[in-house]
Amino acid sequence: MSDKNTPFFVGYLPSPGPLRWFLMTTIGLFIATFVSAGLFIGATQDAPMPSGFRFDYGPQTVTGVIELTPYPILRVTQGNELIQEGKTLMLAGQGKNGIDQRVMEADGQLRSITGIVLQRGTIDMLQVDGRARGVVDVEGTAPPMETVPLGRWSLAGEICDGKCLYGAMRPGTGLAHRACAALCLIGDVPPVFVSSQPIEGSDFMLITGPDGTVLPRAAYDFIGQFVSLEGDLERRGDVMILRIDPQTMELTAG
Amino acid sequence: MSVKYIPVQWNQNKWIYDAVMLIGVVAFLYIFLFVTPDILSHDYRINPQVHNARAFGACAFLMLTVILCIGPLARIDKRFLPLLYNRRHFGVMTTFVALSHASYIINWYFAFARSDKYEALLFANTSYTQIAGFPFEVFGVFALTTLLILAATSHDFWLKFLTPPVWKRLHSLIYVAYVAIVAHVSLGILQDQQNHVFSFIFMAGALLVAGLHAYAAWWQWRGGDSRGTVRDGWLTVGNIGEIEDGLAKIKVLPNGDRVAVFNQAGKLSAISNACAHQNGPLGEGRILDCLVTCPWHGFQYNVTDGRSPAPFTEMVPTFNLRLRGADIEVHTDPNPPGTYVEPVPLPQLQPVETLA
Ligand code: HEM
Ligand code: FES
Repeated sequence: MSDKNTPFFVGYLPSPGPLRWFLMTTIGLFIATFVSAGLFIGATQDAPMPSGFRFDYGPQTVTGVIELTPYPILRVTQGNELIQEGKTLMLAGQGKNGIDQRVMEADGQLRSITGIVLQRGTIDMLQVDGRARGVVDVEGTAPPMETVPLGRWSLAGEICDGKCLYGAMRPGTGLAHRACAALCLIGDVPPVFVSSQPIEGSDFMLITGPDGTVLPRAAYDFIGQFVSLEGDLERRGDVMILRIDPQTMELTAG
Repeated sequence: MSVKYIPVQWNQNKWIYDAVMLIGVVAFLYIFLFVTPDILSHDYRINPQVHNARAFGACAFLMLTVILCIGPLARIDKRFLPLLYNRRHFGVMTTFVALSHASYIINWYFAFARSDKYEALLFANTSYTQIAGFPFEVFGVFALTTLLILAATSHDFWLKFLTPPVWKRLHSLIYVAYVAIVAHVSLGILQDQQNHVFSFIFMAGALLVAGLHAYAAWWQWRGGDSRGTVRDGWLTVGNIGEIEDGLAKIKVLPNGDRVAVFNQAGKLSAISNACAHQNGPLGEGRILDCLVTCPWHGFQYNVTDGRSPAPFTEMVPTFNLRLRGADIEVHTDPNPPGTYVEPVPLPQLQPVETLA
């Protein structure tokens, strides 16, 4: 039972004196809580990986040989100041789309590609221009390109989409980004594997299914998590490609 | 109260309440959105869309945590009751903040694909059978849907339309929504962080809500309203000297309902303890200007007939009373709401104090 000495608050009347002090203190605490929570949570966000679009370079046009892994890569034969001959570029379209449709017939042929650079360390991707100038046929015969088999490897790391890993989104990896990565992969953006240990100087590689197939659906359950898997590794220029063996994928403790 | 429905019946305290709430929320968002990016000064910044989504998500969580702490706090210490007064506005505002969080996410992580972004929310991740990598977004969708329903039915019109018990049950879904948010965050961003400051604040908030509810339940169980003994349909309330002028004593009836026995200027009257507005505990209120005043939102009733003064139309049941020696007894069957019962004078008139 309440007693007479506790102040009684009625919403539509002014509050009684002692209660007013109590409420003022509560208001102060309330605002202090919101201010400090905003500051502490906001100022302790993890730094995204160093990667991103290079709109500052402007659109780049280079010529090279298209190879379908089945995800298309471009092995540059005629570069420019920024992208030198001999470099290998992964290719993606705009939004969460690959450019498979546009280069379907181009395996082993020369094409001139225009797009915006996505950079992560020394390895680049091109977001191919959506207009006709994005992919242009080039006269001439394509020089033979070398593929170096590196044998079977057992690796641990994370499956994600190449475009976001290259910094199209920051953060572009991890569980929070998982659904987004799945949408990219459904849209045929090249999938990549970020290895916990650098292999042959690179910590990530393009991944495909076995025997030149696209990434199997079973792999989608593992996106954004720490997994171990095995596969056959090969090098094409400065990009490595891992043909994964879906049977070997399993979650591991990070 | 109920003469006609206008969107909000404003008064000075509601303005203060909403202003304080707004200052807190705006301060949180301003600092998170505009001050912390420079403190972080990452070489490669978090995309603004994600930074914004995190700010609004964390803010909605904090708001809901505070809202859910108010109930048990007010039960433990009556001085917190004013915070309960306008809690609905707080809830509606939380819904808008949560909606902003969801739309930043949907227009970023789920956009730019060939598929519709709302459909993508459902099919992009279907690993429902695993804990790690579970589509934690569905918990967010559930919580947001619940918040939207509660915000839409928060007005007194719906309270009346659905009747208070149904309305109350519907609105206790807020607890389910809160649990869903805990799951949303625990299976999502908490699995994904290097810096654990947010995890710490988050867990502290969720534990505070759970702990306060447990403590308030224990508090009430220990010091709660007691059951009276019943003989021949009459329940013993207590001794004639026990109830102070202007206050009431609450007893639990055999059917679990509560009755509040008031002393108004030396005369006893009994009415149902449940306010017709939202079941507020009338017996914890006071008699002001000859009217029982509910401690929750201030609805008033004449203690002799359980009716709100004109032009209002709320009514609560009354009970028959009698004295047997020094014992006050109340009949366990309520009279229909609004029935006048002659007050029972106490034998020795106590010195009359008025609060007016
Ligand atoms: C359609 C509904 C929702 C969706 C799709 C959704 C989605 C997401 C996603 C994807 C994240 C991870 C973001 C990141 O850090 O990269 C997230 C974080 C979060 N969400 Fe939601 N959410 C929804 C509703 C809600 C609601 C209703 C609340 C709370 C009231 C909420 C509270 C949070 C919180 C507190 C975080 C963590 C923020 C941080 O990292 O600081 N979400 N949500
Ligand atoms: S419950 Fe709202 S005034 Fe009584």
